[in-house]
Amino acid sequence: MKKKFDLTAITKSKLTWAVVAEVLILLVCLIVRPDFFKISYQESTGMLYGSLIDIINRSSEITIIAMGMTLVIALGGTDLSVGALVAVSGAIALKFLRWDVLEYTTPGDYTVCSYALVLIVPLVVCLLMGLFNGLLIAKGGMQPIIATLILMVCGRGIAQILTNGKQFTTGYSPFRVIGQGSFLYLPMPIIITVVVVAAVALFVRKTAFGTFVESVGINRSASRLSGINAQLIIFIVFALTGFLSGISGLIYSSRIMSNDSNNAGLNYEMDAILAVVIGGTSMTGGKFSLAGTVLGSIIIRTIVTLVYYFGIASEATMAFKAMIIAVVIVLQSEPVRNYFSKRAKKRAYAVKGGVI
Amino acid sequence: MKKLVALVLALVMALAAASALADVKVAFSQIGQESDWRTANTDSINGAIKGHEGWELIYDDAQQKQENQIKALRNFITQNVDYILFTGVVETGWEEVLKEVNEAEIPLILIDRMPDCMDKIEYAAAFGGDFVEEGRRQVAWAGEYLKSIGRGEEEVNVVIMEGTTGAGAQVGRTEGNLAAMAEYPNLKLAAQQSGNFTRAEGQALMESWLKSIDKIDVLIAQNDDMALGAIDAIKAAGKVPGKDIIIVGCDSVKAAFDAIVAGEMNCTVECTPLYGPFVVDAIEKLIAGETLGKELIHPVEGVYDMEGGINVGNDTVSVKAADVINERQY
Repeated sequence: MKKKFDLTAITKSKLTWAVVAEVLILLVCLIVRPDFFKISYQESTGMLYGSLIDIINRSSEITIIAMGMTLVIALGGTDLSVGALVAVSGAIALKFLRWDVLEYTTPGDYTVCSYALVLIVPLVVCLLMGLFNGLLIAKGGMQPIIATLILMVCGRGIAQILTNGKQFTTGYSPFRVIGQGSFLYLPMPIIITVVVVAAVALFVRKTAFGTFVESVGINRSASRLSGINAQLIIFIVFALTGFLSGISGLIYSSRIMSNDSNNAGLNYEMDAILAVVIGGTSMTGGKFSLAGTVLGSIIIRTIVTLVYYFGIASEATMAFKAMIIAVVIVLQSEPVRNYFSKRAKKRAYAVKGGVI
Repeated sequence: MKKLVALVLALVMALAAASALADVKVAFSQIGQESDWRTANTDSINGAIKGHEGWELIYDDAQQKQENQIKALRNFITQNVDYILFTGVVETGWEEVLKEVNEAEIPLILIDRMPDCMDKIEYAAAFGGDFVEEGRRQVAWAGEYLKSIGRGEEEVNVVIMEGTTGAGAQVGRTEGNLAAMAEYPNLKLAAQQSGNFTRAEGQALMESWLKSIDKIDVLIAQNDDMALGAIDAIKAAGKVPGKDIIIVGCDSVKAAFDAIVAGEMNCTVECTPLYGPFVVDAIEKLIAGETLGKELIHPVEGVYDMEGGINVGNDTVSVKAADVINERQY
């Protein structure tokens, strides 16, 4: 028997429901304000200009972190330190950019320590901090949520110390390129995100790494017995997440050309976890979906942009976001998906002329 | 063991004796370091007290934790200080410990943030910014400036970028903003929304507004950080900040002065952290036996813009930012 179109499999997939949710949100926008979808070419910046571009552009920070978070959650853990690492990364970058901070001058291109240091040191430090998380979890046997709580709490403190609790501003134009530059008519963060997502996807799907992660996430002891080096897998995943938080931190601070140790990456851990969950990866570990995570991150940003665009009162913003997210999560829940897949089955059966 | 206890006791007594040498012991419980504003506030007060002859400063940094502040206040009581300066990290939950301060008969000076139990406790003086007046000045400046460039009759669209919803500064400045909007009938409110007092959110919010609102003439941002973020968004939309869109910020941080001098921002209304001189003055008056009353004492604050000379009411005329930028301490 040839299967043409398996409706059951589609209705059962969590990813489908994430797509449905995003389409529904955008559909409401289309009805209320069709110009929400307007995209034009901005000559002064050489970039495409429109709310949809904004959504993808501003979701970059979360998408990049959520790539790592997906793997962490697939291992059955969570990484709470990502938001603090964003602040650390920005603080280090600005520290190098404003080595001259004692002699305050007006904005412009500052003499900086070598630009390479500005980019490399934050990423290396974040990678090491990720390794530290991995060490506590793999070697120390700590629960990931507890182990990463350490850096979540003290990371912002480290960022504050690095910059003496001050907010530095820079006008160094090569640094501006990361968050505000453009490439191929698109904002640079989108390009960086595409590269990161592609690299992570290739790494986990074209090698056996993704399978190893899923295997360790489902049953660590069994994976170890079957010859998978679970400790090494945990190390790599947490170090990668730290590194990706570092990239995200550079984008964040380049957007505002400043460090903001109090607010940079604030609640990013929650947004990243939410993106992964909306994308259909289960918090209990095991199978994961990178594409779903990207979509989850875009859904979160769509909601934020919607609030701004439609001028929803600031008091109601939180409730509005919570409402949409609740609907999305409920749509994806097991009972709801089962209900729809049962209906699809029934219908398929009925079409074939069966008696229900 | 007994020897050790004796030694410790002797040390404590020696320390107590040493500290008793100072005439006036002023203790300051600060909430911690959260922003440039707060750093400038701490430096100003600490510097002024340390610099005063015969005065001793006991400073406690609470690292944004209420329990640390309560502990510090109780320590101040045991140390029998002469004056307590206090900025509470939150509004609630201070009644018990502040009543203990009252029982110890130590004059209490409230600074910047007022606890909600103000009417139930005794205090010698209270210093705080006038958020409502700051909000009023922001809109008044925009209204007067438009008149001065001949756009006083023209209908202009105003967007208000609010701070973190529920924060004292947001509530006060929004009240002031909206009250002053009524005074200038040519100003039309096009949107108001929270940008959470941060550069990143100010930028994202402005980015969306530029697409959803056809014509924005004036941006009132309830702090300078959001205004600075918005400037980048305005540039990205191909508009000229400071010209196509008039930008009014609040706080008067140095970065805002730089932006004004560079012609990318129009005005910033001051919210000064430099309380040092006022506090020293107040303590001197208290020592001399004067009373300062229960009313909140507002520090003198200015308005800074590109050209200067805009009268925003209440005897305040704006000052040209370029003239005073080198004096800015924060």
